[in-house]
Amino acid sequence: MSGFDARMRPLAVRAGLALLLFAVLPAVLAGFDRSYYYQVANLALIFVLLAASLQLVTGVAGLLHLGHAAFYGVGAYAAALLSTELGLGFTVTLPLAGLIAAVIALLVALPTMRLVSIYFAVATLAIGQMLYLVMLNWVGLTKGPNGIVLTRGLELFGFDLSGRLATYYTVAGVVALSLVALGRLSHSYYGNALRSIREDDQCADAMGVRTARLKMEVFTLSAFFAGVAGALWAHMTGYISPGDFDFGESILILAMIVVGGLGSLPGAAIGALVLILLPEVLRDLGDFRNIMVGLVMFGCILFLPKGLMGEVSALRLARQQFGAAWRRTGNGVGIGWR
Amino acid sequence: MNGTHLLEIAGASRRFGGVLAVDRVDAHVDEGELVGLIGPNGAGKTTLFNLISGFTPPSAGTIRFRGRTINGLRPNQVARLGMGRTFQNLRIFPNMSVFDNVSVGAVGTLPQGPFGALFGGRDRARRISERTWAALETAGLTGVADELAANLSYGRRKYLEIARALAMEPAFLILDEPAAGLNDTETADLAAFIRRLHAGGLTIMLVEHDMTLVMGICQRVVVLASGRKIADAPPDAVRRDPGVLEAYLGGDEE
Repeated sequence: MSGFDARMRPLAVRAGLALLLFAVLPAVLAGFDRSYYYQVANLALIFVLLAASLQLVTGVAGLLHLGHAAFYGVGAYAAALLSTELGLGFTVTLPLAGLIAAVIALLVALPTMRLVSIYFAVATLAIGQMLYLVMLNWVGLTKGPNGIVLTRGLELFGFDLSGRLATYYTVAGVVALSLVALGRLSHSYYGNALRSIREDDQCADAMGVRTARLKMEVFTLSAFFAGVAGALWAHMTGYISPGDFDFGESILILAMIVVGGLGSLPGAAIGALVLILLPEVLRDLGDFRNIMVGLVMFGCILFLPKGLMGEVSALRLARQQFGAAWRRTGNGVGIGWR
Repeated sequence: MNGTHLLEIAGASRRFGGVLAVDRVDAHVDEGELVGLIGPNGAGKTTLFNLISGFTPPSAGTIRFRGRTINGLRPNQVARLGMGRTFQNLRIFPNMSVFDNVSVGAVGTLPQGPFGALFGGRDRARRISERTWAALETAGLTGVADELAANLSYGRRKYLEIARALAMEPAFLILDEPAAGLNDTETADLAAFIRRLHAGGLTIMLVEHDMTLVMGICQRVVVLASGRKIADAPPDAVRRDPGVLEAYLGGDEE
């Protein structure tokens, strides 16, 4: 009997990915033995997690989210402050960073979730900017533009993990676990309920799907994983500042899932790898590399409307979002909110 | 009033601005019935349908389903009480597979929290799969389960919509103009399919603009005209009802 289990990735693919992540890649990194490569690998993994968590909201549930990087920032600041001010270790700061980001997301979701389509997108943009401005201007708490230096190294249950290889393994382990969780959420019956909201939320409602609640849940869950990514970033680099979490980062993460394809978790991972690794590979081109990255994205939209492995085209989603702004429907739906 | 009706509409009205789209309608559906709701264009069929399914709250009157007043409930709450529906202008989820489309009906009527999907939840996934396959089987769609819904023909999409509603395992199924856009052969097939569903024990209400399908298969027909109920009788009696003929012919329909 085929069902959801048969639709999961085959075990061999999963085993192969695990082998690549935990054996082959570390061996290659150790072979090159340059800090720069470790940094790039960790950064790529963190952005894989960010793209995968945004994929759940935007690709699967179809809610255009323009402030994802802010929750990444909340997680990073939470971890950094808990570590420097309270002296808490990584085992505590990591889940707390996720939880704090999730709680803030839930609080902002309560009033905004009734907004539909483009109005929701604008609201997330505003929330992202507000959180960014708090990081920038609440100098008493966040030290403002100076950023925060983390004094304690990475450690797990008393073991020192601040070495390059140990840090890589920590980041890879947390990201892999998070991806398994996100995979279960997005490629399962829960994911199908979310997809039905993306496709036609009124119709989903008539099928018994609690659309308002699901939207809130998925927004909160995605912020949790963004917060976890933020904690990883803070502990990995040892220094954070507001510039890491501005609007540009939100757009970068959005671009990753557009390139990879909306709705697909592997797509999000591949999109993140392309947009993190491409600028690094093209480093020799100097300023031209940004033009090249732009061209890749432009080409993607033109020639691969559904991204590399997406379910819906980004243009369709955008049209749906903007279209609803001036489409009047008779079923008690006012303009802009429900 | 006796509380044994599956669906009971008592004095339901709905006003849109100055227009009284549904005017003090009383009607009921009993368990096991196959009822038709007909009326000329603008008679208020769709509005009454929306009142029943929770898409529009009534301006006055009450609607009871399975002994519960459902006025003001959200559509998803009404759906989870056991009411499945289809849409007049086909609303499938185009970028999802046929299997995934139908599974939404099953998910919608089972507990749907994220933690079941996160931690284990094999049991629930299996239940949803089973319901989905059963619905696909009934609607004859097992062969195209992995096809993208957008690739199905118009006729098959109708069955997809019905299968999705069946996966909810509803106590009551309302079909909004299921024969719209189908040719005579397809309509006959659909009629046979609806009869089979009814024979399987499902209570069904058909909302139709066209009389032929409804007269052919329904046990009882409710006729609306200008928002009012003008007849509620078996098909033969409705066919001879002067008020119904007047409403259909006088409104220069057909």
